[in-house]
Amino acid sequence: MSKPIVATASLAGCFGCHMSILDIDERILPLIDLVEFNKSPIDDIKEFTKTCDIGIIEGGCCNSENVHVLKEFRKHCKILISLGECAIMGGLPALRNGIPIGECLKEAYLEGPTVKNNVHKILPNDSELPMLLDRVYPCHEIVKIDYFLPGCPPRADLIWDALVALITGKEMKLPYEVIKFD
Amino acid sequence: MSEKIAFTIDGVTCKGEKGQFLVDAARDNGIYIPTLCNIPGVNPKSCCRICTVYVNGLPMTACSLQVFDGMEIINDTPALIEQRKIILEALFVEGNHYCPFCEKSGNCMLQALAYRFGMLAPRFPYTFPVREVDASHPKIIKDQNRCILCKRCIKAIKDEKGRSIFAYHRRGNKLRVHIDPKLALALTDELAQKAMDVCPVGSILVREKGYRVPIGQRTYDKMPIGSDIEVKK
Amino acid sequence: MSRKITIEPVTRVEGHGKVTIHIDHEGNVTQTRLHIVEFRGFERFIQGRPYWEAPVLVERLCGICPVSHHLAAAKALDVIVGAGTGEGLTPTGEKMRRLMHYGQFFQSHALHFFHLASPDLLFGIDADPAIRNVIGVALKHKDLAVQGVLMRKFGQEIIKATAGKKIHGTGAIPGGINKNLSIEERDSFLKGPDPLNADKMVEWASGALDFFKTFHKGHKELIDNFSKFPSSHLSLVRKDGAMDLYHGVLRAIDSQGRKILNDVDYQEYTQYINEEVRPWSYMKFPYLTHLGETDGWYRVGPLARLNTCDFIPTPLAQKEFELFRAYTNGKPNNMCMHYHWARLIETLHAAEMIRQLLHDPDLHGNNLVTIGKKQKEGVGLIEAPRGTLFHHYRINDNDQIEMANLIVSTTNNNEPMNRAVNCVATSMMTGKKEITEGMMNAVEVAIRAYDPCLSCATHALGNMPLEISLYDQNNSLIDRKSK
Repeated sequence: MSKPIVATASLAGCFGCHMSILDIDERILPLIDLVEFNKSPIDDIKEFTKTCDIGIIEGGCCNSENVHVLKEFRKHCKILISLGECAIMGGLPALRNGIPIGECLKEAYLEGPTVKNNVHKILPNDSELPMLLDRVYPCHEIVKIDYFLPGCPPRADLIWDALVALITGKEMKLPYEVIKFD
Repeated sequence: MSEKIAFTIDGVTCKGEKGQFLVDAARDNGIYIPTLCNIPGVNPKSCCRICTVYVNGLPMTACSLQVFDGMEIINDTPALIEQRKIILEALFVEGNHYCPFCEKSGNCMLQALAYRFGMLAPRFPYTFPVREVDASHPKIIKDQNRCILCKRCIKAIKDEKGRSIFAYHRRGNKLRVHIDPKLALALTDELAQKAMDVCPVGSILVREKGYRVPIGQRTYDKMPIGSDIEVKK
Repeated sequence: MSRKITIEPVTRVEGHGKVTIHIDHEGNVTQTRLHIVEFRGFERFIQGRPYWEAPVLVERLCGICPVSHHLAAAKALDVIVGAGTGEGLTPTGEKMRRLMHYGQFFQSHALHFFHLASPDLLFGIDADPAIRNVIGVALKHKDLAVQGVLMRKFGQEIIKATAGKKIHGTGAIPGGINKNLSIEERDSFLKGPDPLNADKMVEWASGALDFFKTFHKGHKELIDNFSKFPSSHLSLVRKDGAMDLYHGVLRAIDSQGRKILNDVDYQEYTQYINEEVRPWSYMKFPYLTHLGETDGWYRVGPLARLNTCDFIPTPLAQKEFELFRAYTNGKPNNMCMHYHWARLIETLHAAEMIRQLLHDPDLHGNNLVTIGKKQKEGVGLIEAPRGTLFHHYRINDNDQIEMANLIVSTTNNNEPMNRAVNCVATSMMTGKKEITEGMMNAVEVAIRAYDPCLSCATHALGNMPLEISLYDQNNSLIDRKSK
C-alpha cells in the first residue's frame, strides 16, 4: 500500500501550530516513513500535485486568499483537520470581530507613534493584496471540517497521536494532559 | 443525629443524610456530579443545568434536589454526557471565550468541564458578541466577554450589611452582571480575591495578579475536574 | 513582450508573502516587490485589554519566536509597573528571562538553519524542489537532520522550563517572572543523557559552524557575492559594546562602520525611528528619521548584530567573531549570505550563554517580581532571533491598554529584503527567455537569508507563498509561476 499523503497550510494563524508539529522532535523521522508530504510551507511544493489523504489547516480565514486556500484544501484532501484555536474559533485574530476593519487599518498605518510622517494618509490597498474579510471566520464556517484538534498550539503529543490514529486506523487513547485550549 | 438515607447512583448503593443536596451526598460517596453555577454553602439556584441527572426516570438538577430514601439516580450515561456537552458548547459560543490568553485558563471551571466531557469544538456557530470590559472599579475588572451569567458572584459576594455587590442588569440577550459602583468602592482586598475565586470563568479579575501561577501548576493542568472527589471512593 | 513574475507562496519562511517581478518587452526587470499580504490589526484590537495580558496576547503574533514578543512586551510593562529597565528586575527575574531568551535563540536559529535554509545549501538552489526540503535532508543527511531536530528540542525544553510551555507560555509577568528553575530542571539540562545536555549543544553548534565554513570555502562565489549590497545596520548592544540579545542601548552604523545612532536609550525610540507606508504591502518600511525615508533604511538580525557590536562576551563565539570580522578587514559585512554565518555564530553564543546561566545559583532564587511607581507608558526592546523588536504601550487610568505600537524584527528588514529581491531578479532574469524554477528559488533564497518571519511582520502568520507573475507593459498578466 502506498503511503498516506499529507498537506498542511497556515491561514490566519501564527505558525505556532506548525511549530508544534515539529515539536514531535525525534518522531519526525518515523513520521517521514509513515507519510508523504505534499503542499506545505515546510517544503517547496506550492500547488497540489495529487489528491491528499489528510489536510491540516492552521489559522482561520481573515482574507479572500485564506478562503481560496481553504477551499483548495477541501477539494484536494479527503480528510481535513482544523489544527489549533485559530482554525477552530478564529483565535486571537478574531478579537478584531466587532471592530470595523477600517479602525484597525487606521490604527496601524495612520495613528501609531511611528507613522506620523504618513502625511498622504496612505493605506495598503494594492491589487496584489487580497481583500480583508469583514471578520475572521473559523474554518468550519467556510468548508466542512472532519476533525478538530484544540490548543494554542495543540500539544505535539496530541498531533502525533491523532496522526498515528488516522494513519493506522487505531483508536486514539489520549492522556488528560494533551487536550488543552491554551 | 440526622436521619440516614440510602439511594443508588448508577446502581451503586450510597448513603446520605436527610436534607442533604444530591451533589453533596454524591460527593461524600466519592461520586462526581458536575456543577457550574453551584457553590457549597449558598442556596442553590439550578440555573446552569449542568448537574442534571435522572431521578427515578425524571430529569432533575442535583444541586437543588434533596436526597430521599430509595432514590435511583442515573448520572453517567452517554446521553447525559452529550447533554452536558451541549450546555458547555452553547456557553462557549454565546460569549467570547479566548482560552489562549485568559489569565484564568487552567483554573477555569468552564474550560475544565469542557476538558472532562471531551469537547473539541462547539457544534454551534460562534456569535462573537460585542461586549465591554468594565475596568472602572478600583480593585476588580469585570470582563463581560467571559461572563456566563451563573450568578455565583451575586449570591456569594456581599458586604458586611449583606448587600450584594454584583447584580443582574437588563434582560434577554442584554442581560449582564454589573458591579454596584458605590459598594465596589468599599470592596476589601480579601473580598475582591473571593469574587475572582468564586467566578468559575475569567470574568472577574483582581488587578495586576494575572499569570502568577506557572503553567503545569494550575488547578486543572494535571487532573480532570472532579477527580479529587473520585479519589475518595 | 513584457512579463510579470509572481512567486507565491514564498515557502520555507514563516508567514505569508508574495513576490512580483515586472519584466518589459526587452527583457529588463522594471519593478520588483515583496508584498506582505496579510493584516491582523493587533495594535487596535488589544486596546481595552488589561495591560498585564499583553505578554500573553502579543506572543500570539508569532509561533516561531513567541518568546521574543513575550519578553519585549514584558520589558515594556516592567517600565509601566515601575520596575525600570534591565537592572530593575531581581537577579532571578532577569536571569530566568535571559535563559528563556537564549533557549529561544538556540531553537529558532537551529530551526532556520537545519529545517529551512540547509536544503538550499545541501542540494543547491536549483535542485529538484521535491527533495529540496527538510524531509530531503532527513533522508539524505540523517545525522545532520537529527542534530537539527535535537538542537531545536533542547532550546524548546529550556523554554518550557522557564515559560511553562514550549510555544506561547506565560513565564514573564510585569516586573519579573512567575517561576524559578528547580535543581532537577537545571540538572536535566546540564547533565542530561547524551546528546541532550548543554555541553553537547555547544559542541554541535560549533560543528554546524564548521559545516558552514567548509561549505563557504567551496562556494565562495555564492556565499560572498549572492545578493550583496551595502546598507546600514541596527541593533541593541550592551553599554560596553558587547553583544547582548536581551538588553542594551540602540546602536546603528552605516555601511562604512561610522556610527549613525550612538548608543541611545530606546525609551526614546520614537525620536529616531519612523515608518513609511507603501500601498502595496501591509508591512511598513522603517527608517532612521534623521536620514530620511530614502537613506534611513537599515538591516537588522544576525548580520547587523555582528556588525554593530564590539565583541561577544563568550569565549568560543568571540573567537568565531574575530574570524568573521577579519574576513572583511574589520569593516561592516554587507554580504547577504553571511547572515547564515552570523546566525551560526550566534547559535554558538546562545549555547554558551545557556551553559553559563545554568551554573548561576540566582536561577533558583525566590524573589521573582519587582514593583515600583506606576507609569503610563513603556517601551520594551529586545533582539529577537530575526532582529531588533520594538514594543510600546500606553495605558489609561483603569490599567487598560490605550495604545500599542509594534515594530517587528522582520519589518525592519523590509527594505533590505525588497532590495535583495531586486538584486537577484535583475542579475538572474534580465534578458532571459525562460524563467526557471531555479531562478525563482534564487529569489526566495535571498529572502530566506533574512529568516523573515512574515507572521510577525504583518502581525499575521502563515506559509510564505512565493508567486512570480509576468506582466506586460499594459500590466496584463502573461504568465504566472508559483512555488
